[in-house]
Amino acid sequence: MFRLQRNTQAPTISVELSEEEADAFGAELDALRAEIVADLGQSDVDHIRSIIRWCQYSEAGGRALLHFGIGPLSFVLGAGALTVSKILENMEIGHNIMHGQYDWTRDPELDSGTYDWDNACAAENWQHYHNFEHHKYTNILGKDRDIGYGLLRVSEEQEWNPSHLVQPISALILASLFQWGVAAHDLHVDEVRPNRKSVMALYERSRPFLKKARRQLAKDYLFFPALALANAPRVFAGNMIANFGRNLWTFAVIFCGHFPDGVRIYSEEECENESRGQWYARQINGSANIEGGRLFHIMTGHLSHQIEHHLFPQIPAARYPQIAERVQEICERYGQAYNTDSFGSQLGGVARKILRYALPGPARPQATAATA
Amino acid sequence: MPAPSTQAAASDLPTTRRAPKRTSFSEAAARAAQRLHLDRQLRFWVHELSPLSTPDRMLARVTGIHDETHDTKTFTLRAGRGWQGHTPGQFTNVDVEIDGVRQTRCYSVSSAPSSRHLSITVKRVSGGLVSNWLHDHLQVGDIIGISPADGDFVLPDDAATLLFIAAGSGITPMLSMARDLAARGAFEDTVMVYYARSADDLIAGDELSRIAAEHSGFRYVAIRDDAHDGTGGFDEARLRDMVPDLFDRAAFTCGPAGLMDRVEAMWRDAGVESRLQRERFTLPTLTDAGGDPNVERSVVLTSSGRTAEVTGGETILAGLERAGEKPAHGCRMGICKMCRCRKVSGSVRNVVTGEISDAPDQDIQICISAANSDLALAL
Ligand SMILES: Cc1cc2nc3c(=O)[nH]c(=O)nc-3n(C[C@H](O)[C@H](O)[C@H](O)COP(=O)(O)OP(=O)(O)OC[C@H]3O[C@@H](n4cnc5c(N)ncnc54)[C@H](O)[C@@H]3O)c2cc1C
Repeated sequence: MFRLQRNTQAPTISVELSEEEADAFGAELDALRAEIVADLGQSDVDHIRSIIRWCQYSEAGGRALLHFGIGPLSFVLGAGALTVSKILENMEIGHNIMHGQYDWTRDPELDSGTYDWDNACAAENWQHYHNFEHHKYTNILGKDRDIGYGLLRVSEEQEWNPSHLVQPISALILASLFQWGVAAHDLHVDEVRPNRKSVMALYERSRPFLKKARRQLAKDYLFFPALALANAPRVFAGNMIANFGRNLWTFAVIFCGHFPDGVRIYSEEECENESRGQWYARQINGSANIEGGRLFHIMTGHLSHQIEHHLFPQIPAARYPQIAERVQEICERYGQAYNTDSFGSQLGGVARKILRYALPGPARPQATAATA
Repeated sequence: MPAPSTQAAASDLPTTRRAPKRTSFSEAAARAAQRLHLDRQLRFWVHELSPLSTPDRMLARVTGIHDETHDTKTFTLRAGRGWQGHTPGQFTNVDVEIDGVRQTRCYSVSSAPSSRHLSITVKRVSGGLVSNWLHDHLQVGDIIGISPADGDFVLPDDAATLLFIAAGSGITPMLSMARDLAARGAFEDTVMVYYARSADDLIAGDELSRIAAEHSGFRYVAIRDDAHDGTGGFDEARLRDMVPDLFDRAAFTCGPAGLMDRVEAMWRDAGVESRLQRERFTLPTLTDAGGDPNVERSVVLTSSGRTAEVTGGETILAGLERAGEKPAHGCRMGICKMCRCRKVSGSVRNVVTGEISDAPDQDIQICISAANSDLALAL
């Protein structure tokens, strides 16, 4: 697997495309998409099945070490293996299957309509809010609720309020409880008003979540500990560490995908009547990639290729590294910034923003260019 | 490889209808696993350790492959969990993965009933995806998907005199019937007329001759297209001469569409169409129920939120596939019901029967339905 070359010639601020340019740009990306779709086949299915196998074996191994092991070493290994399995299941397997990346296989195990991931967030809720709101309205302020998850101010275009003062701490809390944050976020908890109707409406839309959450909690904190008898505390703690580890990891990966330096925020007016090519350009300018090796990409569910994911959310993610060079080349020709950097730099950029935007300002009348 | 007839002898339960289910331990475990969101793990590990026991999927292992003719092979299968046997004449939906995509086709069970084993007999169809793949790639030991046996092409309970009119690979459901009747010694008065291109194209010809020799109630006539004495091919008058009481018998036919159309016409003209049971392997010529290929209809897929355009002159399945959708389906001819889905609104017509469905919230089979109006489907 290759690593993307950082090209010093590459633009860091995208040019505005004329209508014709945007159409041509869109046509090139459509053609790339069609080419990959036509090429899908056995190797794609073999890949996801082998990840599923790794995930299952590491879960079984991790749980066995927690349940039957004695001493700290087996505890650390067990919790580690369980963490890896939970990350694989949520990222490379669950997230990608639920995007419909494998629907073409017609394998019920890989079907977006029935897959439900190992996560507090219920598949039904996620598919609507994530697949629809976030992927369609990526980085449009006021429409894409994933900007700062309704909690954090990550761009100057977001209005400041005093709660943002403590956002360095809220960010850490969100990171450690990320799956619950995502679940609550998808339920629009922040929109609840103190009246009966609004609270009842929340209760209604929370049903899938409540059912899911009950089962998830029962599994990791009642069922498996009870099964472990004397080792119950160990199993309880190991499961908690694994959930915690996965939360931190997914938080880091996802925040690096949309909030590092150079990622652009759009206003609703800018995106009215946008063409397919303009939509593609927004996906590129609103996303950022993280560089890394094959294993790293798999552990991020290939969200390290956030740009390719946003262009082609329904193409099997393992294909992203293969098409990244071509996407980058197309971007260069059309003067579109292709934001890619190491995990450390992207994470640093996110951290700087969370710190900087905890304070008000800088006031700018209209956002068009990137902040970097 | 044991000859299929030994399986017939070993046939342990000629199941007609399924017995009411008892809740077994494994089912209780499966339910508990689902409660805890561990059903995926359960399926994975059972599949890993004992594939044939996989919950929620019916699988079978290929135990033998043998050539029936130059272009037809029989695959004997050991059925996994859930297989309840079949009634002779029924088919199973076989699914295999070809180039990463699951493909499903119907195949008649050609063996006599058994709670463990079955065989399917597959003829290569030129240009056909699944039949050729089975011939070229399926190996002993491989695992394929099957479904519970289904279909109404079965012997009536009180049949004394029977007539089987088979052609080509259409022999398969009647082969199962003949093997079953032979194993049970239940032939009273059965005639089988089997049409094939040449002696080399007869499937199980030797076995059928042997059964006929051993059972006085079974008469077997093979008719070859290449016969030099002018008796080859299908001919209404010759059939009538051969079996004078043909219209009094419970008759069964299965074969290429052309032959079946002619057999059907004979029974219809005699006014005894209800005595003829038919099994079609391919879609009959579509009845023209007024479908216009120039009319575009939009189909809203309510689950995915997408919209596709189909025309009035094609099946909804074909139209959706043309639009890049990949709806679930099996036989593509209204038999296996795998493509059944809820029609939320709109009007469709059944291209086989001409029947119209225009009430909201009805289940339709998209492989044999064409759009009469714009539609919303729960897909
Ligand atoms: C109830 C039922 C029972 C069946 N039982 C058997 C069986 O016991 N043995 C068996 O070999 N087949 C049987 N078939 C047919 C089988 O399901 C497949 O249709 C057949 O194997 C061709 O599949 P394919 O994927 O190779 O061809 P496809 O790729 O589906 O079709 C390729 C082309 O061949 C045409 N075609 C499809 N089937 C036939 C056919 N039978 N004759 C001529 N042209 C055809 C199609 O219209 C298409 O144009 C049965 C079908 C049904 C509905």
